[in-house]
Amino acid sequence: MKTLEETLRTWEAVIGLEIHAELTSLQTKMFCGCKLEFGAPPNTHTCPVCLGMPGALPVPNRAAIESIVLAGLATNCEIEKHSMFYRKNYMYPDMAKNFQTTQGPIAFCMRGHLDLAVDGAAAKERVDLGDCAVGEQCGNVTRTEDGYVAHVGITRIHMEEDAGKMVHFGGDEGRIAGATHSLVDYNRAGTPLIELVTEPDLRTPAEARLFMQKLRQIYLALGISDCSMEEGSLRCDGNVSLRRRGETKFGTKTELKNMNSFKNLHDGLAYEICRQAEVLEEGGIIYQETRHWDPTMKCTIVMRVKETADDYRLFPEPDLAPYDLTDEFIEGVRAKLPELPDEKELRFQRDYGLTPYDARHLVEHRETADFFERSMECAGDDAAAFAKPLANRVNNDLLAYLNNHAEVTLDALPITPQRLVDLERLLADGSISTKQGKEVFAALLEKDCDPAVIVEERGMKQVSDSGEIEAVVDEVLAANPDKVEQYLGGKTGLLGFFVGQCMKATHGQGNPQLINEVIVRKLSERA
Amino acid sequence: MTQYVNEQDVRAIAEYTRIGLTDEEVAQMTIDLNSIIEGLKPITEYDLEGVEPTFHPIGSLSNVMRDDVVTEGFTQEVALENAPHKQDGCFLIPSILGEGGDR
Amino acid sequence: MAVERDLWRLSAAELQRGLLAKEFSAKEITESALGRIAQADPEIHAFLELTEKAAYKQAARIDEALSQGTARECGPLFGVPIAFKDNMNLEGTHTTCASRMLENYVSPYTATCVARAIGAGGIPLGKLNMDEFAFGSSTETSAFGKTLNPWDRERVPGGSSGGSAAAVASGMACVALGSDTGGSIRQPGAFCGAIGVKPTYGVVSRYGVVAFGSSLDQVGPFARTVHDAACTLNAIAGRDPLDCTSQESTVDFTANLAEGVRGMKVGIVPAFMEAKGLSPEVRHKVEEAAANLAAMGAEIVEVALPNAQAAMSAYYVLGPCEAFSNLARFDSVRYGYCDPGHKDLGSQYEASRTIGFGSEARRRIMLGSYLLSSGVYNTYYYPAQQVRTLITRDYNEAFGKVSCILAPVAPRTAFKFGEIADPAEMYLTDMFTISINIAGNGGMSMPVGPGEETHLPIGVQLIAPAFHDELMLRAAAALETVYGPAPIAPDFDGLNDNAKAGE
Repeated sequence: MKTLEETLRTWEAVIGLEIHAELTSLQTKMFCGCKLEFGAPPNTHTCPVCLGMPGALPVPNRAAIESIVLAGLATNCEIEKHSMFYRKNYMYPDMAKNFQTTQGPIAFCMRGHLDLAVDGAAAKERVDLGDCAVGEQCGNVTRTEDGYVAHVGITRIHMEEDAGKMVHFGGDEGRIAGATHSLVDYNRAGTPLIELVTEPDLRTPAEARLFMQKLRQIYLALGISDCSMEEGSLRCDGNVSLRRRGETKFGTKTELKNMNSFKNLHDGLAYEICRQAEVLEEGGIIYQETRHWDPTMKCTIVMRVKETADDYRLFPEPDLAPYDLTDEFIEGVRAKLPELPDEKELRFQRDYGLTPYDARHLVEHRETADFFERSMECAGDDAAAFAKPLANRVNNDLLAYLNNHAEVTLDALPITPQRLVDLERLLADGSISTKQGKEVFAALLEKDCDPAVIVEERGMKQVSDSGEIEAVVDEVLAANPDKVEQYLGGKTGLLGFFVGQCMKATHGQGNPQLINEVIVRKLSERA
Repeated sequence: MTQYVNEQDVRAIAEYTRIGLTDEEVAQMTIDLNSIIEGLKPITEYDLEGVEPTFHPIGSLSNVMRDDVVTEGFTQEVALENAPHKQDGCFLIPSILGEGGDR
Repeated sequence: MAVERDLWRLSAAELQRGLLAKEFSAKEITESALGRIAQADPEIHAFLELTEKAAYKQAARIDEALSQGTARECGPLFGVPIAFKDNMNLEGTHTTCASRMLENYVSPYTATCVARAIGAGGIPLGKLNMDEFAFGSSTETSAFGKTLNPWDRERVPGGSSGGSAAAVASGMACVALGSDTGGSIRQPGAFCGAIGVKPTYGVVSRYGVVAFGSSLDQVGPFARTVHDAACTLNAIAGRDPLDCTSQESTVDFTANLAEGVRGMKVGIVPAFMEAKGLSPEVRHKVEEAAANLAAMGAEIVEVALPNAQAAMSAYYVLGPCEAFSNLARFDSVRYGYCDPGHKDLGSQYEASRTIGFGSEARRRIMLGSYLLSSGVYNTYYYPAQQVRTLITRDYNEAFGKVSCILAPVAPRTAFKFGEIADPAEMYLTDMFTISINIAGNGGMSMPVGPGEETHLPIGVQLIAPAFHDELMLRAAAALETVYGPAPIAPDFDGLNDNAKAGE
């Protein structure tokens, strides 16, 4: 199989996403007062409504409707005042009523969009922008200095309910195929779910991943879902088709499931694009089918062939009154909108003078963005000078640590914004070296104390006394006359050697910048 | 009489609604359904141009919602009380896909 | 205290007067009611389950309240024996919907209407027979045997609430609850000579009542006096937070019963009176009732319901569509009939639903599934909802001119078992009742004595504007002054032949 890059030179991938988010921040289910709780003993959060007992009737959760309107406002959707719930009829054992209560042709949120800034490696997947000049709009993207911005349409966000959970036995690794029996737990049944459907505006797996990441940031900022891809509170299906570059007609699409991490989303789509290209290049045809991404085998497997379109016998739910949202309701929700990642990014650039790149990566994670902001407050008069180093520290070191320790949350760590600022001060006034700074930072993640204490304890106070440094430099130069000769003869690369020797002599505590200066000065005096 | 559904359609509907019918029953059901659907003809002959549908006979009632407050539900025991088959606090069902299932 | 009278013969109002006067106790009322059931039900077969324990428990509560002088505070039904159609959940009882599917289902919760009736002091006697899942007009489709018409054992009690009507008409229950999707309270009321009220959609909560046609179903009372019906309605009406389609009801339905009809404009629909299939004796009774209302000062006005004839086909689209979806939950997983021995779910589903559902249920499920399928939806379902708009408009227009409409309930009196075999002909028995379910307003059946030809009970229908159900009850109360309360059917063995229909 060709690589993704090769494939995308010949083929244009057309990708649309369907993203489900459970509204885990709510107390209760969509249509009944049962508690929302992940991991409770099976069937302990059920009632006549979510068990689909005969005679039970649904009553919608107001907070869920507010949440979806919030999601719609945050994704530039138009809020439809008039909408209804519908019944989507199909029999499946995880669906207690054997119909899903969902929305019809008109959802609460319609016609939205998100703009994705794509840069770095992610931008390289887009091989068709060679002729697109910076600032120019080419299709749905606008070229930027370090990549491009993609305008991705959102068809709709609708409100629905989740199904129960099933565990399968007797087959391989709990798979449904080959299972002899299954157990059904309806605790999750009726969990409020919002489904966002994008336009087929995405062209690369990287864009798809970025869209998903950005949407997750937004939902987290709104506080409507914990967006855990692992626990399934944020789920994504992808629709993929290919067409030859220059072609305008869409190809046959496949639907891809089980992409339960950003990496799986990217890799699953990338594989499927390459697979389809191979089939097409060999003269084969793509069947409209549902495929399952297997991250261990690194391939997609057919789950179900759709011979005909599913007929769900959709009709308006007679048990639920229609919606006629008032301006008052919508404006009330709008007033609850928090600052969104895009706004925060602009504010970070404007108020702290950060580069767009730094600002964007800071706001990617709400926790770290907040941490950065609180650090900036602690920095006081030094804020302007500290913005860049603090941003780097958070974006690089702190984030790397959090990424490597998925089980740890930032607020559980002993490091505080004040301590981070104190660390930067020690660096700024030359008390410790950059290398020592890294060591202190690492210690701050584990030990509940101020950076000064660590510096003291470890005796890592940087030697910045110029008299002391000069003595060390003289010593080193005197001990290496041959090297001095060579240096003076033009082998200036030896400077590093002298610095290293001096650092060794100061047990790593010499201020490397100062040592550097002294060596250069002393050697030039000899020249 | 117009044939609205043939036996093949009836078999497909039976499969979708999960109702098992013998060949004889399929034949009879086909006759019954065609006769009933024929009786619905008036609805197709009405001039309904521009008439809005009324899905809910409840006047102007709208936006009926409840607060996000937990109410007491069933214990596990009560939830499973009527279950034909249960195991480990769950409803027990036989193989979903069966042999050669495609879902 | 020795009781000479048959307490089961008394109306709710009489029972409550007697209780307050300490002439008898709630326990004695209960004994009498259960005794009457033991006597009459083996023949009539209206009950599917008795709740004797709950009945005596409630009686003890009422008697305790009586001794404390707080009986009235129990609610409008204190001390009144009441029974429930078997599609209403009552925790701890079987709620079978007269279907094999739910033969062993035990309700884990209670329907709001049932809870309110018991909460209002009603003494729960048990659960009543019906057409399977309310699909029918004769109670013949019950999986647990037919109910006989108390006035003629060879005839059907009507349906689908046939058990409710028969229980009240035979004196086994003072009042009963039924549900009406296309006439299922009014038609059996007419066939059995009982008052049957289908209030405006939304007046009574549907929570806990097993759904047939969710946009059509409405719960209402059966009784032998208008006051008792109104009193029962008072107990069960009003907004329920568990039913989004229920609405506030602040009316006291008993308040204006005695006001009479002087000056009230009562509509007559000429197209109904001239309808093909309307028997002369029923027509005559409607005209007689109109004349009686006029004699009491009402003004009889002709009104038109030009789209009413479309109601039939709209109903046979909407009913099956909603039923198909409502009955999908019966899948052998969480409750209900589960055919044993299946290795895969598909065959368990099919066998359980095939054996669990009767033929009419299967037919409606399949019809509904067809009518909702893509490409077909726009031909039937959507136009049916447009027709609903037209019919609602018709009623609104008519009620701009009149306060209430008088019409037949059923085109004829009760038919014999097996007499109507063709489903299409059976459907016609609902021709005068269906349009009211489509539009959602209230309608009731008021017994006006036996027909001159068949000598069987005949009911006239009174139809009210939406959320003005008190108007039809008022007109009914006026008719009651002429025809008297609904009589208890004479016992079959001739022991109690002192009561004759309408005499």
